[in-house]
Amino acid sequence: MGRGDAERTATVRVQRFNPDEDREPRMQDFTIVLRPGTTVLDALHRIKTEQDGTLTYRRSCRHAICGSCAMNVNGANRLVCNMPLREQLDRSGTVTIKPLPYLPIIKDLVVDRSTFWEQYLRVRPWLVPPDDVPEKEFRLSPAEVEALHHAETCIMCGACYSSCQVIGMNKSYVGPHAALKAFLRVLDPRDTIPGDRLEDLSGGDGVYRCHTIFNCIDACPKNLNPTQAIETLRKLAAKREAYDRDRRVRQASLSEPIASE
Amino acid sequence: MRIFQIQRYSAIALLVFLTIHMTVVHYPPFHIDFTRILERMASPVWKTIDIFFLGFVLAHALAGAYMVITDFESMYGVRRAMIWIAVIIGAIAFVYGTKTILAFQPPV
Amino acid sequence: MYTSTGYISFLLRRVTGVALVIYLFMHMWVIGSANGGPEVFDARLNLVQGPLFKLGEIALLAAVVWHAIDGIRLLIVHYFDVTEYRRSMFWAAIVVSAILVIAGGIPMLTFMLEEMGG
Repeated sequence: MGRGDAERTATVRVQRFNPDEDREPRMQDFTIVLRPGTTVLDALHRIKTEQDGTLTYRRSCRHAICGSCAMNVNGANRLVCNMPLREQLDRSGTVTIKPLPYLPIIKDLVVDRSTFWEQYLRVRPWLVPPDDVPEKEFRLSPAEVEALHHAETCIMCGACYSSCQVIGMNKSYVGPHAALKAFLRVLDPRDTIPGDRLEDLSGGDGVYRCHTIFNCIDACPKNLNPTQAIETLRKLAAKREAYDRDRRVRQASLSEPIASE
Repeated sequence: MRIFQIQRYSAIALLVFLTIHMTVVHYPPFHIDFTRILERMASPVWKTIDIFFLGFVLAHALAGAYMVITDFESMYGVRRAMIWIAVIIGAIAFVYGTKTILAFQPPV
Repeated sequence: MYTSTGYISFLLRRVTGVALVIYLFMHMWVIGSANGGPEVFDARLNLVQGPLFKLGEIALLAAVVWHAIDGIRLLIVHYFDVTEYRRSMFWAAIVVSAILVIAGGIPMLTFMLEEMGG
């Protein structure tokens, strides 16, 4: 905390759009005093409280777990709640905040995520466990859990979905978020319908529509890898019947201890 | 999935055939006329290689064109029709190309 | 537009792909003149061997080389777990393509200049 910090200011350039008044979005500059520890979300809060109460944006938990505050900051999709403002300022002390790209804008920084949720529901994001529920628990090996690559930590923020040019061109595409969720379920030994899931993803709007642009990996605030998940699903979809058969064999011993234990 | 597989497998085949084509036909650069081409194309082996080359090129080009066109939401709705158009263009082009390859005969 | 090296490689792959499809059909039209016999073939081929076309051929070489090298990069990404190296692989593709285009382009340029001089 240096003495110079209290007087430094930052310019926050925000994209505004009021559907009742504006025909097109426009940029608006706000100046705020730079205090130590200010995040970009803090800056938006202060602007809304002290300067313009009509500034509209989504936020909730403010510690990177709810996924509400994903926005486009200096050209990259990020969560703004855990992003230090100081690190985002360019040479002129300005940070540029726009809503997530490729999605219809409702107001200011709030976008319409309907297609995001439609694709999510389309892949049946819930586990379909076997009818025989074990007395104690399902036993999975460390290798089987490792193979999921932490896909369950996805917070559904939409940063990946909205960074994808395939989505930009075609909202029928399943999208990296839903593909990652499908990957999580397909590779889970407790799921009884991997073959079904893979078949649904084999069409022209599924995992084969990905053009390996990699923006999703760059955008993910949890360092997840939808592209690798999609490549895995592509390989599995090519031999889905065999994969389904193997799953039935595996499920016969789901309540038994793992061999190495 | 099928289109993706057609594109990938034809791509791998093309890496081989294109290398052959570039080294045999275009290296070193020379003035191209019927007699020079006939030196190679009179042989049935080269004719066969070129017919396979043509087949793989058309498969890859039309699968690629199909993907580019159906990437747009408006065209995605008519993808069935796009497949038919691609197949028909491919068939016509393949027949025409094969006929052309076979036309490289010594003049009577 | 959400820009990144991945997006640039996608764009270049697309643009070269579309250009090559157009070239393919033009090429089939030129070579198709063989159906009319050696004189027709030679006449049509002469139309497309002037210096402007020779320069166009170098552009064609660049398009084919980029499309193929980027395609190989995609095949590697498909068969191996290498997304961690996505940026260095993009630059490697640029470097390899540049080397091949220069290596192929110099003989072509030399040949074109010889033909123009003679």
